[in-house]
Amino acid sequence: MAETVKLLGTKGSPYSHRAEVALRLKEVNFEFLHEDLAHKSDMLLRYNPIHKKIPVLVHEEKSIVESLIVVEYVHEAFNGYAILPSDPYERAMARFWARYIDEKVIPAFWMSCWTDGEMQKGFIGQAKEALTILESQLKGKKFFGGDSIGFVDLAAGMVAFWFGILQEVAGISLLNEEDYPVLCRWADDYCSVEAVKESLLDRKLLVAHFASKKEKIFATKAPVYD
Amino acid sequence: MSEEVVCVDFWANGFGMRVRIALREKGVQFELKEEDLRAKERSALVLEMSPVLRQIPILIHHGKPVLGSINIVEYIDEVWKEGPALLPADPLDRAHARLWAHYIDKMLFSTQTKFLKSKGEAKEKSKAELIESLKQLEQVLGDGNYFGGDEFNFLDIMLIPFSSMFSGYEEHGSFQIGVECPKLMAWVKRCRERESVARTLPDDGEMYQLHKAWYGIE
Repeated sequence: MAETVKLLGTKGSPYSHRAEVALRLKEVNFEFLHEDLAHKSDMLLRYNPIHKKIPVLVHEEKSIVESLIVVEYVHEAFNGYAILPSDPYERAMARFWARYIDEKVIPAFWMSCWTDGEMQKGFIGQAKEALTILESQLKGKKFFGGDSIGFVDLAAGMVAFWFGILQEVAGISLLNEEDYPVLCRWADDYCSVEAVKESLLDRKLLVAHFASKKEKIFATKAPVYD
Repeated sequence: MSEEVVCVDFWANGFGMRVRIALREKGVQFELKEEDLRAKERSALVLEMSPVLRQIPILIHHGKPVLGSINIVEYIDEVWKEGPALLPADPLDRAHARLWAHYIDKMLFSTQTKFLKSKGEAKEKSKAELIESLKQLEQVLGDGNYFGGDEFNFLDIMLIPFSSMFSGYEEHGSFQIGVECPKLMAWVKRCRERESVARTLPDDGEMYQLHKAWYGIE
């Protein structure tokens, strides 16, 4: 029987990762359709005609796009694990920090990896500030979501797994144990969660992937996740 | 107790208008604390309540700050259950509403800012992008009275504040939004008849004058 839930994504993408972990936390049976972003499938173009991006969640023939929106949808549409907090104030805070990661943490870190000279120094400064602020949100908790992973942890999946890989390929050391002990400890704990482990590619593969694309990314600054 | 809900905002801030409209739709009594965005420094209150981004609007409820206009409107909907539902009930419709709310923030707002700031060829290019964004939103509106269908709701609240700049855009770009997007203009007129919107939206002329001064438009 064809699954009613399909996820169009790639293992290399931290955005696709968010959607995949959400589905695994809810124990939803889904079909993972791997997209070759260089040759977008008809299905992708049909289900996300405007943005043509992954991840796309297809549920009973209806499509949901934008990773954080997909995660909220999975939280609301399926029973079981609570990805977002039940308290409205805590929920508002979770949404704020997830967007902070997308708008401040990730762009600064990304540009720190793929620029040089004065420009790089500037981005590194911004990234350090953003990481410090993000780390402070853990304040004594195991995860951003508390005792178990939640919305903000999923949003920060890129920090937990991809940041180490990117900085290794780029030859910088931004997120390190000396400067960010709490965040690094969180990253290890996050990656050890079963639903996350099942979603992550082998680290060596991802390092090799980004290393092979390094020149292209340096030139365009655009991500190449597949 | 009206001091229980405080909204920190600037009269010309479109993102803040969303919050004020939502509160009025729900019939929530609130205190409005004006923050003049033209001042170089933010007030002590904003620095205390929004230390990371130092942005407004801020909703302060029971002394705790809620940040980000989209977050705040969702929060208002979740806390004040008496009064009309602002977001749809179905998860798919909610995802759709959130998607377009973020589209408005990412695409429309940045495009309109580029348009107001630029001159010459860059201005023509961003004008075309702005019209494209508005047309895209008009498509989302479809044939409904509101983005919510028959009921005024979340997505209407997200977009209607921008309408206070429509005549400004028209003057700035020498075009007519009513010609490019007639259904959208009909929607604007319909929304402005609502009390919450009429009370919140500023005078179009004053909005444009402020933005002209802000962006150095002659």
